[in-house]
Amino acid sequence: MTGLLFAAAIVLSIFENSIQLPIIAPGIKFGLSNIAVMFSLFYLGKNIAFLLVLMKAVFVLITRGAVAGFLSLSGGLLSVGIMTVLLIICKDKISYLLLSVSGAVFHNIGQLTAITIIYSDINLWIYLPVLMIAGIVSGIVTSTLLKVSLTAFNRLFKIKKY
Amino acid sequence: MKFINKTDIIIISVIIIICVIFLGVYKSLNTNTPVIAEIYFDSQLVKSIDLQQGTELVFSIPGHDHVVFHLYPDGSICFEKSNCRDKICVRSGRLNMVGEYAACLPNNIIMKISRKDKRASDDADIIIGAEG
Repeated sequence: MTGLLFAAAIVLSIFENSIQLPIIAPGIKFGLSNIAVMFSLFYLGKNIAFLLVLMKAVFVLITRGAVAGFLSLSGGLLSVGIMTVLLIICKDKISYLLLSVSGAVFHNIGQLTAITIIYSDINLWIYLPVLMIAGIVSGIVTSTLLKVSLTAFNRLFKIKKY
Repeated sequence: MKFINKTDIIIISVIIIICVIFLGVYKSLNTNTPVIAEIYFDSQLVKSIDLQQGTELVFSIPGHDHVVFHLYPDGSICFEKSNCRDKICVRSGRLNMVGEYAACLPNNIIMKISRKDKRASDDADIIIGAEG
């Protein structure tokens, strides 16, 4: 199952890179592969979600180099970390949408922090508001897509929720 | 667990409003500041160029002819060409405001826009022997 989700994450990110979305500023994307990560967080537990983030980072490291790999890892870890904490604190009270939005926003904050660590003389915090808005939009998009795909999944299998 | 709560909309709108206000204030404070573009390779400053000279210039930094920069007369600058695969640097478009940046990570080149009157970080803090 983990392997399957990993494959799905890779395919989603390749698909995302192959289509050009004209409305979006350069470098900003939806992070469609987070659908797979969120799915595993909700239905397979946090360990699998962290494993998936790790595997994604290694894949990026191999295909796109060390800096990209480190960025993927730091964004992914912070994102899954925040979502896990929120799930523990709020339990069922938090909505999928807000969870996905916080995951996406903190994914961006994690990457921004990583860039600031690598290039210590570069101050990118001006981009924080832009990235927060981008995170909110991408969080809404991914959670909606997750909901749509879950409906389809549920029709196919009966998924047991953790 | 629900898909969306009513409070979500309020939280999200508040965050968006704060971000938009911050951006608006920042933009209005920095529209007429004289700026320079600083180009870094491997975290070392290799070139800085004044953006307020009203000339058009196409150039590269030494040793990296495959990365081409373009300075426009309106005071903006961009990565015009690069041999990297993802072209994120080229797609970053024209920069002209303090704090903006564009990076070509595969080539390890970063360009950022700074204030012209700012002291460089490696400037000396004291002046010795200035007595006339």
